[in-house]
Amino acid sequence: MLPRSSHEFPYKNWVLLAFLLITGCAKSDPRTVITIWHQSRPTEKSFLEREIARFEQANPSIHVRALYKETEELRSGFQAAALAGGGPELIYGPSDVLGALQTMGVVQDMSPWFPQEQRADFVDGALTYLPASREPLKKELVQIADRFGNHLALVYNRRFIKEPPKTSEELANLAVENTIDEDGDGRKDRYGLVWNFTEPFFGIPFLTGYGGWVFNDRPPAGSSSIPVTPPTPSLDTPQAVAAWTYMQSLSDAGVAPRHCDYDLADSLFKTGRAAMIINGDWSWAEYIATPGIDAAVAVLPVVSATGEPMRTLFAPKGYSLNANTRPEIAATAMAFVRHMTSDEVQHRVVSELKMLPGRTSIQNDPLFQTDATLKTSLAQLKNGRLMPVDTELRAIWDAMRPSYQGLLAGAVTPADAAKEMQSEAIEKIAQIHADSAPDNSVAAINIAGLLLVAGLVYWQRGSVARFAKDWPRNKIAYLFVLPSIICIFAVIVFPFFYNIVLSLSNMSLANFRDWRVVGLRNYEEVLTDPKIWTVFVKTIVWTVVNVTFHVGLGVLLAVALNGPVFGKSLYRILLIIPWAVPAYITALTWHGMFDYEYGAVNLILEQISQFPPAAWLLHLLQLTPPVNWLGDVTHAFQACIVANVWLGFPFMMVIALGGMQGIPHELYEAAQVDRASRPRQFWHITLPLLKPVLLPAITLGTIWTFNNLNVIWLVSSGGEPQDSTHILVSYVYKAVFSLYRYGYGAALSMLIFLMLLVFSVIFLRRTRATESVYA
Amino acid sequence: MRESRFITALRHAVLLLFVAISLYPALNVLSISLRPDNNLRSTDLAIIPNNWTLESYKQLFTGQPFLRWTANSLIVALAVTATGVTLAAIGGYGFSRFRFVGRNGTMLAILTTQMFPATMLLLPLYIVIAKLQLINTYLGLMVFYTSTALPFCVWQMKGFYDTIPVSLEEAARIDGCSRGTAFWRVILPLAVPGLVITALFSFMASWSEYIVAAQVMQDEDMFTLPLGLKNFQASLSTQWGLYAAASILVSLPVVVVFLVLSKYLVSGLTLGSVKE
Repeated sequence: MLPRSSHEFPYKNWVLLAFLLITGCAKSDPRTVITIWHQSRPTEKSFLEREIARFEQANPSIHVRALYKETEELRSGFQAAALAGGGPELIYGPSDVLGALQTMGVVQDMSPWFPQEQRADFVDGALTYLPASREPLKKELVQIADRFGNHLALVYNRRFIKEPPKTSEELANLAVENTIDEDGDGRKDRYGLVWNFTEPFFGIPFLTGYGGWVFNDRPPAGSSSIPVTPPTPSLDTPQAVAAWTYMQSLSDAGVAPRHCDYDLADSLFKTGRAAMIINGDWSWAEYIATPGIDAAVAVLPVVSATGEPMRTLFAPKGYSLNANTRPEIAATAMAFVRHMTSDEVQHRVVSELKMLPGRTSIQNDPLFQTDATLKTSLAQLKNGRLMPVDTELRAIWDAMRPSYQGLLAGAVTPADAAKEMQSEAIEKIAQIHADSAPDNSVAAINIAGLLLVAGLVYWQRGSVARFAKDWPRNKIAYLFVLPSIICIFAVIVFPFFYNIVLSLSNMSLANFRDWRVVGLRNYEEVLTDPKIWTVFVKTIVWTVVNVTFHVGLGVLLAVALNGPVFGKSLYRILLIIPWAVPAYITALTWHGMFDYEYGAVNLILEQISQFPPAAWLLHLLQLTPPVNWLGDVTHAFQACIVANVWLGFPFMMVIALGGMQGIPHELYEAAQVDRASRPRQFWHITLPLLKPVLLPAITLGTIWTFNNLNVIWLVSSGGEPQDSTHILVSYVYKAVFSLYRYGYGAALSMLIFLMLLVFSVIFLRRTRATESVYA
Repeated sequence: MRESRFITALRHAVLLLFVAISLYPALNVLSISLRPDNNLRSTDLAIIPNNWTLESYKQLFTGQPFLRWTANSLIVALAVTATGVTLAAIGGYGFSRFRFVGRNGTMLAILTTQMFPATMLLLPLYIVIAKLQLINTYLGLMVFYTSTALPFCVWQMKGFYDTIPVSLEEAARIDGCSRGTAFWRVILPLAVPGLVITALFSFMASWSEYIVAAQVMQDEDMFTLPLGLKNFQASLSTQWGLYAAASILVSLPVVVVFLVLSKYLVSGLTLGSVKE
């Protein structure tokens, strides 16, 4: 590693130190700096870092900064940065986002820096060409890949499986034979075949093996470019139904736990409790290295009914150039891309990463003959299908996901699943492409806006005069509150008005950089969406239940703590743990605790239900264990609520605890003299005096809970099962980040804002929260 | 004030139950951090896995700039806490004790800033940050965190001042204190529990925030802890051991801060200070 100047401590000069602290060590680097955002997994990340060090050594005038970002993070972050005219010079990742980035016009053609003769040796698909966003007939080079990956294969544990299956029939038989309950306790000790039941990506090999595909065939064009006609989904075909029937029969046979998600499948295989797993190239090395199992990789079998191999999707991974990169910087950036695709580095991709290189001649590397995993990988890849770069693919995944989950949970028939996937896909693709021209309401909006402003001025015309009169009298009050007000509003004003305008605009994938105001169409679309009302009701239930429990439990615990309790400070510390540990990981822990078979919640409920009264109570609540927490629509929502209550009660407890300190003891003493019972004391002294402290917390708690995206997203993995756990904000999130419907998302956000505003006004007025208790 | 045995037992029963509920999921995180095989899920319920190892923790300190991230987080969180508490302490007092023009309207307006779904604010927020050249600066984060923590802090402090009888100030004024002195000498000391909560909240708001941080900090050296944590996360191949170990370590400072602050989370009003 080269010494990094930012690590050197600025000497002596404290002013400089303070300045650096504030501005964040703005160092002056004489080198040309190239920033790359990449989404490489750990081993690939350290490979990239090693190559950067080599490149910098050979080119001392260039500094390459690599920044890891998670897949979705990279995409949304890059879109925002590019729109604002900045962002990294290069991004690195699989090709599937390219269609969207090119349509938005945020990447640029790399061919000027990468002449024809340098492109000759690349494997088909390693160079991605797309039509220019302005001129559909011009093809632009938008990605140069240095490796391929993300393909699935069959990994099997040689302790249980001697010979990997060659056909789908053998696969099913082996899976059933290896699903074993050794001690006969009704719980399986080993599963035959596990895979991810939540992501339809894992269902593609089955679909292709039965002769199906996600898109209808289009007139052939170059294999690495998309034709001009947009693709249409082909998810409701006899082939698809046959594939889903086969998959459901495996799931029905119990070869995997009923709600097998990625992490559960992974754990089962690593601990020798699953004989086979279908997983991607990123996981193989770890499986082979895991002690206690003897893993080997095999090509996915041939489907017996069709004689076709199961074809996995694979993606080229490579570099794309930011549209904002100036030519002189671009030349330097491309030098790095050339380094990564040079013979030397390409051989290291094979030897160090055990991955498939982007260049054809490198496939002669002797390792392909000697390394079993590489050999299988190459064979599987040759049997694979190139990941489409069409933006419509996101709509396909979103449309397939709910039915894929329902299918494997046994809740939907294969025929219904296929039909549902198809109709959802058509609807979602239409939403991506939705484009609208300004309509009559634009004029009306302008007039209404003016009238509104005029009305406000007229309504508040007396305020200015009153303010001027009030200023000298209450000068000190204004001076007290102004700093906070300025700080709060300085940040929010621009985003707020930006969103109002956005909500009236047609900003979407097609109009990302050149959006304009088109009228009230987005609002109309939100309000006429039949799904939105059930989501709305769910949001209300979610908010009310959560806040009630937060406050109820918080006050209960504060009351319990507020007295002569031995070990008070220890209790206090332990009780704030749910607030202290980062919510991201605890939410995932809850997801695991709600697992049908291995989760702690079901195991505890089973213990409890041994007592008849408890069993009766659970029966009454329809929670007789085992409860299908994450697979059932109602229970999944309950699970989210439980997790969120857990996350939120410590905050309310701390508030209530603080509030109770302000209540004078004399009041209780007087009450005891009057022989008032404890409940009466609580009701007539504690609660009224807690009110001013609790009200702000309740108001804001309600607003935060209403807009709480994380818990829903993490506990139910983004709305599972079947997109049923959504509340309004997660609905916004999905519309904006999956389907690029910025205008629609902004309109829905405005409506959320208005709902909360109305709630707050009524709530604060009814509770007289702005008034003082003693006043 | 002596309590009956029954009430004491009841207190402990409730507290112990909730301590168990609070701890169990957190102990699961601890368990993940001690596993040698990078597993999020486990099929057995033991908290300490039988082949436990501290490898993840070791790797965190040797292989990752964990200390650097901690320092960044501390700088930002402490600055936000100091600013937030100061502004809220005087702002809340203003709202509690004075009836000035636009008071109710402003208090409501402060709340409205929290009502917009964060998802939609990202894009315009990035534009602001970029235009003001606040990318990769502590200042950028501090300003945003303070402004998002303040609405709650101001309202909360206002609520606390409301519980302190006005008669105390009036008594002080009669004794010859100026308005400022009365606030500083009489009211502020009584509002200490409120300040503690405000401080804890501001600290947490900046300590665990991630979305804005991801927009502002674009250099690994400038990462705050939540961003560092995200570094271990990759679609379908998260380094769960490191992630869990870092999460445990991230929550320790919060516990310490709370431990220090909770000493002041005791009654400000003492016997005889007020006679209504």
